[in-house]
Amino acid sequence: MLASVLKPHRLIILLGMGFVAVGLAVFLLDSPPALALDEAGCLACHGITSLSTTDSQGNKVSLYVSEEKVNTAAHRYISCITCHPDMATVPHTKEVGFTKLSQARQCGTCHAYQYRLHSLSIHGQSLLEGSPDAATCLDCHATDGNPHGVIRVLEYTAPTYKKNIAGTCAACHAQEELMADYGIVERVYESYMRSFHGKATQLGAYKESELEKATCTNCHGVHDIQSVQDPTSPVAGAENLAKTCESCHPGAGVEFALGFLGHKEASRDNIPAAMYAEIFFTALLVSVVAFGALIMLVATRKYFANRWKETP
Amino acid sequence: MTTISTAFPAELARREYITRFDIHQRIQHFFLMLSFVLLVLTGMPLKFADGAISAWWIGVLGGVEPTRSIHHVAAWTMIGVCGYHAIYLLYGIFIKKKSVASMLPTRQDFVLFGQEIAWFVGLRKEKPRYDRYNWREKFDYYAMFWGIPVMALTGLVLMFPVLVTKFLPGWVVPVALIAHSDESMLALTWIVIVHIYFNHFAPGVFPLNPSIFTGKLSRERYMHDHPEEYDRIAETQTAPAPKEDKS
Repeated sequence: MLASVLKPHRLIILLGMGFVAVGLAVFLLDSPPALALDEAGCLACHGITSLSTTDSQGNKVSLYVSEEKVNTAAHRYISCITCHPDMATVPHTKEVGFTKLSQARQCGTCHAYQYRLHSLSIHGQSLLEGSPDAATCLDCHATDGNPHGVIRVLEYTAPTYKKNIAGTCAACHAQEELMADYGIVERVYESYMRSFHGKATQLGAYKESELEKATCTNCHGVHDIQSVQDPTSPVAGAENLAKTCESCHPGAGVEFALGFLGHKEASRDNIPAAMYAEIFFTALLVSVVAFGALIMLVATRKYFANRWKETP
Repeated sequence: MTTISTAFPAELARREYITRFDIHQRIQHFFLMLSFVLLVLTGMPLKFADGAISAWWIGVLGGVEPTRSIHHVAAWTMIGVCGYHAIYLLYGIFIKKKSVASMLPTRQDFVLFGQEIAWFVGLRKEKPRYDRYNWREKFDYYAMFWGIPVMALTGLVLMFPVLVTKFLPGWVVPVALIAHSDESMLALTWIVIVHIYFNHFAPGVFPLNPSIFTGKLSRERYMHDHPEEYDRIAETQTAPAPKEDKS
């Protein structure tokens, strides 16, 4: 009996059925997509798109929380009350009214180290001085600027994923007028994308092994970003810059760092030799190519006149 | 038709092909071409990183690092070809005592250049009578004496920026990048609009003039493209390969 069951052709059929059964089991028993925990049942009201209130100035403020965003957020298993402690009682007795600063503090109740670094950074310091623009947690970590859409850094759609960092910084730092208010006149994003580092990041794929390239944060720091005028900035002065270069280019010295154009174009004040090289090679390129094109054009005219036939 | 000496040698008439390039010249051209094409295919996506096709092409090549490796291998190949040519040249001149006169620029080249332009624009009825190398071939050849040193030296600076800045001032790195980038465009554009155009698309040549690959050129084409030299071969009734030779 057993021998007849285990005949090769039957064995193959049995194996095939086994595979189908396992596949079906995986398909049927697979867990449903992750959902937010929502212990306090907040989404019962806040999941309604039209939910809104009116603030003290009479403006309509939406109170809607996108369930879709929350379901994929890094904090989906953390109770809403953790970040909104004043909202523990229903009906709510207080207004939300997060400011950039109070929101950062709220994040800091858990992420104390990052909050501390940020509060000492140029962004944090500007914020304390009352700047309405300085970047805080959500400006860099929330997808689409939605505070409930903070996702992990290693997710490729995250604004802080290596390949996306330059674009995230550019959201503010490519705004010329806004940057002029803070004395930043260099077109930092444009010049970065023109550089070897920028091009390598742009041309590389999303996989991490392709992203071992310098982006904004590699040279300027992450939560602890300082103004380039600050002597403690990793890019302030040739000495600091050389140390920063060395973190990727082993053995790089001050002379190596001095050869870096930075975020400025080559000019009389910034590596003049590069400016003269640009003028010389552009002139050479244009004149030789123009010569070649002219020869080709007059030759083509002649060839056409001869109907592209060989003539003596 | 070009005037061929009346005493046309019977032996030469039977021969359909005339040897034009020796094996070393053909090998040098092949590897020069191969390395050039690889350098262009792996360098241009970096120059035009914004182009939609660039990121796709880098992906096809396997990523930024493989692309960089291919570029470096091709660069060393091109440098190797230069070394090969230098040895070939020195050996030819000093050991085999070959004449390189046919490749040297002369006043006649400028005359023929003027005649060709006059013919192109219709001021002259007859095509200029070229010798072994026409002015375009000489221009291509001498352009490499400028182009390859510029590309190789700046390329090496970009390949070893840390090492180079131990001996040279830092500004050589951005200067090398600018020179490498612009000179590459110059070389590519010239090769496409002059070299490829005249050696592939000129009347009677399409799809290509194969002599640099096969080493031989048909009797008709030789008479047509290099009449002065052809007449000399015919008159002296020598064997097909001219003794004075170089590339």
